Amino acid sequence: MTRVLVVDDAATVRLYHTSLLREAGFDVAEAANGLEAVEAAMSTPYDLFVVDVNMPKMNGYACVETLRSETVGTAAPVLMISTEDRPGDADRAYQAGANLYMVKPVDAERLVRVATMLTAGKGPAA
Amino acid sequence: MGLVRKTASTEPEEVVPPEPSVETLLQQVQDTDPELRREAALSLVEVAEAVPVLLARVGVETEARVRDAVLTTLAAHDTATVAAGLAVHLASDEAGLRTAVAEALATMPRSAPDLMPDLLAAPDHDVRVMTAMILADLPHPDAKTWLLRMIAEDPHPNVVTGAIDALLPAADAGDVPVLQAAVARFPDDPFLRFTVQAALPRLTGTA
Repeated sequence: MTRVLVVDDAATVRLYHTSLLREAGFDVAEAANGLEAVEAAMSTPYDLFVVDVNMPKMNGYACVETLRSETVGTAAPVLMISTEDRPGDADRAYQAGANLYMVKPVDAERLVRVATMLTAGKGPAA
Repeated sequence: MGLVRKTASTEPEEVVPPEPSVETLLQQVQDTDPELRREAALSLVEVAEAVPVLLARVGVETEARVRDAVLTTLAAHDTATVAAGLAVHLASDEAGLRTAVAEALATMPRSAPDLMPDLLAAPDHDVRVMTAMILADLPHPDAKTWLLRMIAEDPHPNVVTGAIDALLPAADAGDVPVLQAAVARFPDDPFLRFTVQAALPRLTGTA
């Protein structure tokens, strides 16, 4: 089964994204900030990371940079989802190593569709 | 056995370096060595005259651990000057900075509340989202009232959902009408609806 790590400090957002992805058949774990996400990624291989931007301890950009660094070294796709809709936010996300940047709120169908697309054929139930 | 008189030690006494002066610390906080900057920032915790220098560092400091030290020291001052000086960074393009500043303001219960009228009315909805983050952790009796106001009145759904997320740990059955009204205000927002529906059983005691 395709493993997804949902990273967001907002419990409601984690619950929302987790529920949608689980309903679609993904195996979903959660992390409340970038630091937790990095720790999780070092112990478990994930097929997709869904990462918020504004988080305490380690923000989303730093989290993605660390996921891409030698420390973790994952090449798994990263979808960044944020409330931020400023010019340059998406560029910053791509510079950090994200594969896609989306602005909240994300439509349920779109989230599942994008997650399926990013996991490239593995699909939710692979 | 009798006590043996200890002969005078010939070992050199440890030389304790003198505490750096405030003037030295203010220079060190701008040094090229990040560890020296961090230590200097932490050493300026009760030095009021350091506030302008530290505030000036917030926007230019590139090392997260140094910036955290600067913010920790500034937050300890908890004055209107510091609060206002930090609040401008809530609109920063740098995620790490605006989040760190929000965390610092959340630890300033004396001065951060005075910012709320302006922050709640900020034209940039991203600043209002950060304000909800501050209120989530701000130990102040009016924090919940402000969050309820955001939920009831803010025109942007992301601000409302941020405020709901901040409110939920402290919410009770009396807050249900405000939450339901928010869902009615944004009928096309699935996340907002999901969030409230997920919380209702606990709030109404039907979980």
